[in-house]
Amino acid sequence: MTSEDTAPVALSTLRANAAVTVRGLVVRFGEVEAVAGIDLTAGSGLATALLGRNGAGKSTTMRVLAGLVPPTAGEVTVAGHPVADAIGVRRATGYCPDIGGLVPRATPWEHLQLAARLRRLGRGWEGRARDLLERFELGSVSHRVTGGFSHGMGRRMSVLLAAFHEPQVLLLDEPFDGVDPVGVDATMTTIAEATGRGTCVVLSTHLRELAVQACDVAVVLRGGAAAEPMAVAALSGSEGAENYRRLLTAT
Amino acid sequence: MTATRRRRPFGPVRDLGYVLQFRLATARNHRGRWAVVAMLTLSALVAVLPAYIPGAGQEGAAVDTLILLSSGYVAFLVLVSISAISSGGGRELIPRDQAAPFPISPATDHLGALLLAPLNIAWLMQAWLLLGATAFGVGTQYLFWAQCVCVLWILAATAIGQAVAWTVEAVRRGPAGVALVRSVGVAALASAAVIWATGNISTLLDRSPSVWLVVALIVGPGKIWVNVVLAVLSMAVLATVVGIWPARWAASRMPRDEQRLESGSHPPRAEPRSDLAALVRVDRTSVWRAVPMRRGAAMLALAPGVIAAAGRIGWDSMTVLPGLVISGAVLLFGVNVWSLDGRGALWRANLPVSPGLVFTARCWVLTEFVVLAALVSLAVAAVGAGVPTGGEVVALACTLVVVTTQAVGSGMLWSVRNPHAVDLRSARATPAPPVTMVGYSARLAVVTTLTGVLFAGLARFGAWELSLACATPLLLFALRRLVRARAEWLDSDRRAQVIATVAA
Repeated sequence: MTSEDTAPVALSTLRANAAVTVRGLVVRFGEVEAVAGIDLTAGSGLATALLGRNGAGKSTTMRVLAGLVPPTAGEVTVAGHPVADAIGVRRATGYCPDIGGLVPRATPWEHLQLAARLRRLGRGWEGRARDLLERFELGSVSHRVTGGFSHGMGRRMSVLLAAFHEPQVLLLDEPFDGVDPVGVDATMTTIAEATGRGTCVVLSTHLRELAVQACDVAVVLRGGAAAEPMAVAALSGSEGAENYRRLLTAT
Repeated sequence: MTATRRRRPFGPVRDLGYVLQFRLATARNHRGRWAVVAMLTLSALVAVLPAYIPGAGQEGAAVDTLILLSSGYVAFLVLVSISAISSGGGRELIPRDQAAPFPISPATDHLGALLLAPLNIAWLMQAWLLLGATAFGVGTQYLFWAQCVCVLWILAATAIGQAVAWTVEAVRRGPAGVALVRSVGVAALASAAVIWATGNISTLLDRSPSVWLVVALIVGPGKIWVNVVLAVLSMAVLATVVGIWPARWAASRMPRDEQRLESGSHPPRAEPRSDLAALVRVDRTSVWRAVPMRRGAAMLALAPGVIAAAGRIGWDSMTVLPGLVISGAVLLFGVNVWSLDGRGALWRANLPVSPGLVFTARCWVLTEFVVLAALVSLAVAAVGAGVPTGGEVVALACTLVVVTTQAVGSGMLWSVRNPHAVDLRSARATPAPPVTMVGYSARLAVVTTLTGVLFAGLARFGAWELSLACATPLLLFALRRLVRARAEWLDSDRRAQVIATVAA
């Protein structure tokens, strides 16, 4: 691995367009320290991959950014809102959780209707909802309860819900997990469209190659803390795989 | 290496031991074990103490009790069967999704359901009623021998009810099974109504073989006692063993109710007019599209009302009904109300809406669910009860309001303090582990029954002003729990824990 491969992305560039700023984030659950002092910056119009081993703190960080888990310590700002302003953060974000993310006995349409109402989308949301349902190949099941969905269908629906209201910050936690290639393509298109609109996308995944395809910047988390952001190209190909493995296991 | 499957005669019993050990090891605290010890101690006391009450085992009230006991034994069999049928074959020792990685056979599942049957407040109350009545009826002379018969009957009736429930569940899962089971249920209800209307209930109960159980209690140790004990013991063993077949039959079939709900189409409705209406709508779908809630609500709304109507209970005694029905309804999901969202809790938590409004919506849905069940039950019970007095109406209304607030307040508070990740898809699912459910049931039963009894007394007294005067402090006290539950939900740390737990 050369120093050029893992060269940090120009932080000044990221900070200039920062939609997500995390400084010294610590999250403790009882005696367990899930996040131990993460610093992170994610820019508008860019997709940032959050990578790391199991238990590295990716999902907890995502939950903090989504306004679900209050930080134990540190400063977190999302789309200009400190996370203490939970309603402001939730208005600005769209969140696809790592597990499930769907109310089991409600239909996709009922999910969308609730989101449209609470996010004040106004008239005309149905058209976008239908387009997205077709893109993710969920149009034919839009009036069936999600409890009967396969894992992949559930993941696709969860991504759709996160992107539905065109948020300023799109948080996707394991969006490719168990999803078929068609669903992966739909997710890729959604991410590309979002970044094209200037949305800040933060994506957590274990699938390195998909992260390389979808993202511009990568941040590797280790032991609850984050390394400097790097250009995602450094993780591409077989050499990138080797780099990635080294980064995951480095002490 | 290929594992060969050999049927071991005691394999299911051994597996049950392993599963039980696993379940106990994963229990978060030891309060559950203490609850079981307390339950056994209380059962022993209930089986002995009434024999020492003045008049026990003598002419008068004790003899009247013995005369009624034969019907009581039949009623126990009917009620445990209905309870097991409504829960789709009995409770699960391990929730279905957690049991998936383990090769738990239907036979082990059947034995587990039998073992869990006593961890149900309805079963416990009825069993205690039988034990207490038996002790009071026979007095101290043949107490031990009499209670042997009573305990064996309780076990046999539970095993028979379980076998019947598996059979009904297997039929329900077959082609046209749901329609068939519903038709048989309606026919049974209609037959009971005809028997009741023609005044033949007493004649029928007098011919019941359960009269022999009472004879054995009275004569004590001897030939009749031995014959009855052997007969009941054989029934218990036979029903336990035979129950394995319908359990296997049911396990081999897909649950149709769940499939129908999950594969059916639900046409879109007009947009809700407010945020609260939108939240309430989604919460309602979570309740009314769940098999255990639908079956439980139907059972709770009808069974106590039908029994009250059959027994021609007067308006003054009807104040006990709301407590029973509302407690049962809260126990269907209200003690772990945030689990309705399942894994969707994380997505819902990201929606920009105040947590207070979310709490109000959930509370509203729980309240309307329990009140609806209670009102239907009261309407059924009112058949043949005549016209109530003003005092009785006010007492009943006060009971309904107070008991609803007590039960909903407790449920909302427990939901915030002790959440569990549960999948309420299966008819056999419960919102909390079995032993925890016993604790909740006991607490709700005590509070709501005492409230019902208080208002029954006030209804007899006839002064409606007194009912209102008593209801006000009780209502305020019950509201305190609701306010506390709301305050704890509004705490962001606590809320994050609840959401993470129910979505796990």
